[in-house]
Amino acid sequence: MKGCDDYRASIPLYLDEELETGDYENFRAHLNDCEACRAEVEEEEQLSRLLHRARPLYSAPDVLRERILALAEGARQPSAQFRVWIRRFGWPAGIAAAILLATGILAARQVLLQARANSYIESAMAAHRSFVNGSLSLAVQSSSPGVVTAFFNGKVPFKFRLPEETANERPYQLTGAQVVSYRGAHAALVGYEMQQEKISLLVASSRSAVVAGGEQVPSGGIMFHYFKRANFNVITWSTHGLTYALVSSLPGSGRQSCLVCHQDMANHGRFTLQ
Amino acid sequence: MSWNHDGQGPADPSGIEYLDGLYSYAMILTRNHAEAEDLVQETYVRAIQAMGRLREGSNIKSWLFTILRNVWLNHLRKLRNGPRLVSMEAEDGSARDIVGPAKNSHEVYVSKIETAQVRAAIQQLPTEFREVVLLREYEELSYQEIAGVLDCPVGTVMSRLGRARAKLRTLLSGTLIAANPSGVKGTT
Repeated sequence: MKGCDDYRASIPLYLDEELETGDYENFRAHLNDCEACRAEVEEEEQLSRLLHRARPLYSAPDVLRERILALAEGARQPSAQFRVWIRRFGWPAGIAAAILLATGILAARQVLLQARANSYIESAMAAHRSFVNGSLSLAVQSSSPGVVTAFFNGKVPFKFRLPEETANERPYQLTGAQVVSYRGAHAALVGYEMQQEKISLLVASSRSAVVAGGEQVPSGGIMFHYFKRANFNVITWSTHGLTYALVSSLPGSGRQSCLVCHQDMANHGRFTLQ
Repeated sequence: MSWNHDGQGPADPSGIEYLDGLYSYAMILTRNHAEAEDLVQETYVRAIQAMGRLREGSNIKSWLFTILRNVWLNHLRKLRNGPRLVSMEAEDGSARDIVGPAKNSHEVYVSKIETAQVRAAIQQLPTEFREVVLLREYEELSYQEIAGVLDCPVGTVMSRLGRARAKLRTLLSGTLIAANPSGVKGTT
C-alpha cells in the first residue's frame, strides 16, 4: 500500500492534470483520508491561483498587434488566391499565385520594417519638439565634443564618440547632450544649434532602431534616408551598429539641409562606434 | 494565414489569439520589451513562411512557441559571435505597467501590485525555470508539449517545474500571506 511519501510525489501531477485515470482516483481517495496531503495540495493551489491572477503575464502592445495583423493580412490574400487559382486554372496559375504569396510575405516584411523605421522617426521628432520647447533640457551643456563623449560613457548601451573638431570648422555648434529612452533602452540625444535653430541628433542601437523609406541617397557606403514631416527635416542612417536620426527645421528639403553643413557629403562617417 | 488544421488551431485565422502568450514568452526570455517585440514579429514571419509545411493535426500553439524559442536561440548564437555591445538593461516593465491605480479602486491597485510582484519573482528565476513556469502555469501546455518546445525529456520538465515552484513559493511568501491572511488550509 502506498504511503504519504509516495502520494506526495503525485501532487504536482495531480494539480497539472497529468495523472492517469486510475492514479487520479487513487490519489483523490487518499486525499479524502489524509489531512497532511490535503494541506500540501492547498498550498500548491494557493501559489497556482496567485500566478493565474497575473494572467496574461505580459500583454502585447497594440502596435505589435497591428503589425502582426498587417503581416497576416499580407500573407493571407495571396494564399487564398493560390487555392482559387489552382482550382480554377490548374497548377501553372497556382505557381504564379505562390510567387504572389512569397511577394506578399516580402511586402508584409517591408510594411513591418517601415513601421519600425517610422517609429524611430516619430520618436526623434518627439524628442526634438521637447528639446525645442524646453521640456527636455540637456543634462550636459557644452560645445566640447570630448565633454559630450565623456558624458555618454556608461550611460548608453553602446560606445559613442563625437568627432573632435574646432568650433569654427562647421557652421553649427554643439550645445550639449541628454540620455533618452527608446523602446526600453537608453539612447543618446545630442543638441546642436545653427542660425539660432536647434538641431537634434538621436542615436540608438541598430538592434532596436531601423531605417527605411524616404528619399534615399547613397553616399560613402551609407544610405541616407531623407524625410520632410510636419515642418521638420529628418535624416536617418545606420552605420557601425548605430542608427541616427537628425531632426531640424532648417529651410529646404531634407537633403538640402544636410548639404548646408556637409557640402561634400564626405564626413558622414565621423560619428563612430569604437 | 490558414492555420485551421485541427481543433487546436486558432479560431482567428490570423493566429493573433496566441499573441499575448508569445509576447509573454518573449519577455521571459529577453526581459526587454523591444527585443520581445522583435522576437514575436520574427516568429510570425517564420510561421507564415513555414505554414505550408505544417502537417494536418499539428499542434499550432506548441509549434509557435517552438519557433519563438528557436529564433531566440539563433539570436543568442549571433550575439555570441558578433560584436559585443554593452548589455541592455534588464527591465521587466513592472514599473511601466504600474500606472496610478484607478481612483477608489483598492482592488485594482492590489491586483496590479500583486501582478508586479509575480512578474518580478518569475523574472528572478533562471531562464530554464522561467520557461517552464510560463509554459505550464500561463500557457497550460502539457508536460509532453513543454518537453517538445524545450527539446528535453518530460522528466526534466517535471523536475524543473518542481524546483521553479519551490523557488517561487519562497520568493512570493509575503504575497501569499497577504493574499491568504487567515492561513486557512481548506480541503480540495
